[in-house]
Amino acid sequence: MPEIILENVTKRFGKSIAVNNVNLEISDRSFISLLGPSGCGKTTILRMVAGLETPTSGNIYIDGKLVFSSEKGINVSPAKRGVGFLFQNYALWPHMTVYKNIAFGLENLKWSKRDIRARVDELLKMLKIEEYESRYPSELSGGQQQRVAIARTLATGSKILFLDEPLSNLDAKLRNDMRVELKRLHEETDSTFVYVTHDQLEAMTLSTKICLLNKGVLQQYASPLDIYNKPANTFVADFVGNPSTNLVDATVLDVDDDKIALEFCGNTLAFVPKDSEGRLQTGQKVILGVRPELISVSENGIMDGEIYSILPSGMETVLKIEAGDLLLTAVIFGSVDYKVHQKIKFSFITSRIVLFDKADGKKIAIGSIQNM
Amino acid sequence: MKAFVYSIRNYFSKPQNVILVVLSVLLFFMTLLPLVSLVRETFIVHPAELPVIKGSKLNDFTLYHWKKVFADKSSSTIFYRPIKNSFIISIGSSATALITGGLLAWLITRTDMKYKRLVSSLIMLPYMMPSWTLALAWRNIFRNSYSGGSIGLFTALTGIEMPNWFCYGAFPIIIALGIHYAPFAYILIGSVLRNMDANLEEAAQLLHASRFKILTKVTFPITLPAILSTILLVFSSSFGSYAVIIFLGSATKYQVLTTQMFSKLNGTNPGVGYVMSVIMITIGVSILMFNQFITGTRKSYTTVTGKSGNISVLRLKKWRGMISWLVLIFVLLVAVVPLISFAVESITDVPGVYTLDNFTLRYWIGAAERNANNGEAGILRNPNVWSALWNTMKVSFIAAFIAGTIGVLCGYATAKAKGTKMATLLTNLAFFPYLMPSLAFGATYLAMLSKQYGPIPSFYGTIWMLVIAGSAKYLPFASRSGYNAMMQIGNSIEEAAVIMGVPWWKRMTKIIFPIQKSSFISGYLLPFISSMREYSLYALLCVPATRVLTTLLYAYNERGIDQYANAINLLIIIIVVLVNLIINKVTGASIDRGIGG
Repeated sequence: MPEIILENVTKRFGKSIAVNNVNLEISDRSFISLLGPSGCGKTTILRMVAGLETPTSGNIYIDGKLVFSSEKGINVSPAKRGVGFLFQNYALWPHMTVYKNIAFGLENLKWSKRDIRARVDELLKMLKIEEYESRYPSELSGGQQQRVAIARTLATGSKILFLDEPLSNLDAKLRNDMRVELKRLHEETDSTFVYVTHDQLEAMTLSTKICLLNKGVLQQYASPLDIYNKPANTFVADFVGNPSTNLVDATVLDVDDDKIALEFCGNTLAFVPKDSEGRLQTGQKVILGVRPELISVSENGIMDGEIYSILPSGMETVLKIEAGDLLLTAVIFGSVDYKVHQKIKFSFITSRIVLFDKADGKKIAIGSIQNM
Repeated sequence: MKAFVYSIRNYFSKPQNVILVVLSVLLFFMTLLPLVSLVRETFIVHPAELPVIKGSKLNDFTLYHWKKVFADKSSSTIFYRPIKNSFIISIGSSATALITGGLLAWLITRTDMKYKRLVSSLIMLPYMMPSWTLALAWRNIFRNSYSGGSIGLFTALTGIEMPNWFCYGAFPIIIALGIHYAPFAYILIGSVLRNMDANLEEAAQLLHASRFKILTKVTFPITLPAILSTILLVFSSSFGSYAVIIFLGSATKYQVLTTQMFSKLNGTNPGVGYVMSVIMITIGVSILMFNQFITGTRKSYTTVTGKSGNISVLRLKKWRGMISWLVLIFVLLVAVVPLISFAVESITDVPGVYTLDNFTLRYWIGAAERNANNGEAGILRNPNVWSALWNTMKVSFIAAFIAGTIGVLCGYATAKAKGTKMATLLTNLAFFPYLMPSLAFGATYLAMLSKQYGPIPSFYGTIWMLVIAGSAKYLPFASRSGYNAMMQIGNSIEEAAVIMGVPWWKRMTKIIFPIQKSSFISGYLLPFISSMREYSLYALLCVPATRVLTTLLYAYNERGIDQYANAINLLIIIIVVLVNLIINKVTGASIDRGIGG
């Protein structure tokens, strides 16, 4: 049974719409990421489910129980929704020691002194912060504060945990370590994690499913690999992946049964769909989505180009290729040696090229590019 | 040796270090030296004491004063009982200020009370008015006939005569001082409540804390530093207050340390007055140190501010209307009713008779020929009033300019060199005058500036005496707002200009000052307003030629011409409120920035 359900949830702040008619099902024990650029409404969704923000309309269910309904006038208080919340700036109470911060929720639940002691000790150990027990938050580093905040959130044993960009205040190295830690905690605590982030890599590596939002509208809700390989529209394709995907304008010349003739940057090539969702017409403007790693540079490439710049990073090399009036990004595994302005030949490999409708940006088909 | 010279030159190549050193020396003379000379005064024989201290010569060393204060038959009357009263009124007024100011701050920031804008601007009025305003109004309204004299407006209207404890002494003094300083609490606590990270409370809410528990375990402890600074400010101000006690205490001979100090300084035993000054300063410093000890420990509150857009507002529901009305009535009572009472008293010919035919405008615009009131003309055509007004403006303007400018420089240097020993020293030096009771401060400046030191002439009898004392006394406000202003703009703004080779002077006038214009101007505004309504500090420093409005007001009060006292008070309030309003509209500066909001 799904744990959290959002039905037609909308939130307005005055005239602006922060969240527009979002429907979402979050299943038990999953690790869901709410991903999107800043201001897309992801934090607002999290806060609405937690009960810190009141939706303008819609229904929210947690564990089968209706916790919010604009029609029925139901609005269960945050404490009674049984969720834990990890704030972006940790929100540790500056006047309480680490121990007091963690114990506070348990005291409110009228636990006995001994049980509190035992539970806090368990958490201190789990998060490896035993030695800071009697310190105040201002005496801790960012990473340590983070751990205390996590311990405080876990203390009451909520089975649902909301995390609002918890790693954004940490440096790159620490962020990597904490990612590993969070994934471990998800396993260990056996609970549902809902994670807000604007970092697509974080979402990709951590989650079981990603919910991608833009301007308050849900763009795609799917597994990380589906988001990556089968983006629902150009926004999703562009937002996910680093370096970002190549979006190439093309025009449909002719539609056949099993192949479509396309014209782009002076080439006429065939697109062979593998699975397609819409019909194409002659003369229609489309966009090709080509991941950088799907461009291969070789003698027998079918397109001509010129090296614009080379960005080696050791494990891989990012090439910028000028082809007609296009600037394409390609990623080649390992170090390769090219010179700027060098003439090369390249082609799009595999059958994972995505074809979008230029008019609305929606995905039409996935397939491969071949010679006519 | 070369390295030493080099490091010195390097140190002084930074403008903030030059300012630090220059200001530290200057402030040493303006604030610490008076203290040293004050302590010296407690051990020497003054001219007036020659007859009582047998066989002594002028300026002889003596322990007479200290003995007189602590261990003499009269100690209980001149010291122990008054200091007990001082503590009572200081504690009482701190509590009153905290409760009223804190409650208002909470209602305005955290509930859906109505009239928030109106209330928040009216509540500042009591602080802008002279401290004795409420005292004078209280006396106007409630005075009774038991200690001789006419009845007040309240008795005239209702026929009820209030008992002495209600009309004079500790109770009304606590109310008057507490409400006068309530804006401190309102500003300091309000700004914490307003800027507090809403997540801190939400986190508690999610962890099953009740509303009450959130308030007592999270919100209250986080506002604690603000509460403590309020206590520090209100307690030391009340402890050093003199004017209010005169208005509400003299009828029943209610004595506190300041009234004793004033009569001793002005009377036959100045040494005892100086001893009392030293004791008052010691108490002030102890409170400051206690405050720093509590807030300066491990719990840093710097993490407090954060996203505060979504602070949850408590719905008052059915109480909303009633609470809103009660609050509005309260602020009208403390901010507007006193003004009405001054206006009424200033046009009442025979005090205590509130009938139409007893109203007259002659205390405002009457000519001087009349026999009444020692031939004084109405205040608007009275040369004494005009010269006092002119003096007041001159003194306040110059003192505000000096204090404000030093404050800006002080703020700049201490913010830039934050954390260094010199910066801490300068910060403390600049705050020190706040802890010196105005009367004692005036007394030391009188002692110090009446003498000639080499090329520096004696300032006695000139307005410079008032100007210098005023500049030093109001420096704490100015340096505080200067510091706050500097902390708000990052270092890089100035560094961007440094790299382009813009000289320091130009950086200050073209970049830093314009960016934080309103904050810096607040640093000028607060000293100006404080000086406009200062009495205690100037009381000892004035001679008839340098008389200011407030001392004139007291002269009339002593002679029992209440109409003049009320009229002048109203005049002061109108000027102060107008100046504040104009500066606020033109520059955006406001006095609450100087207090620390």
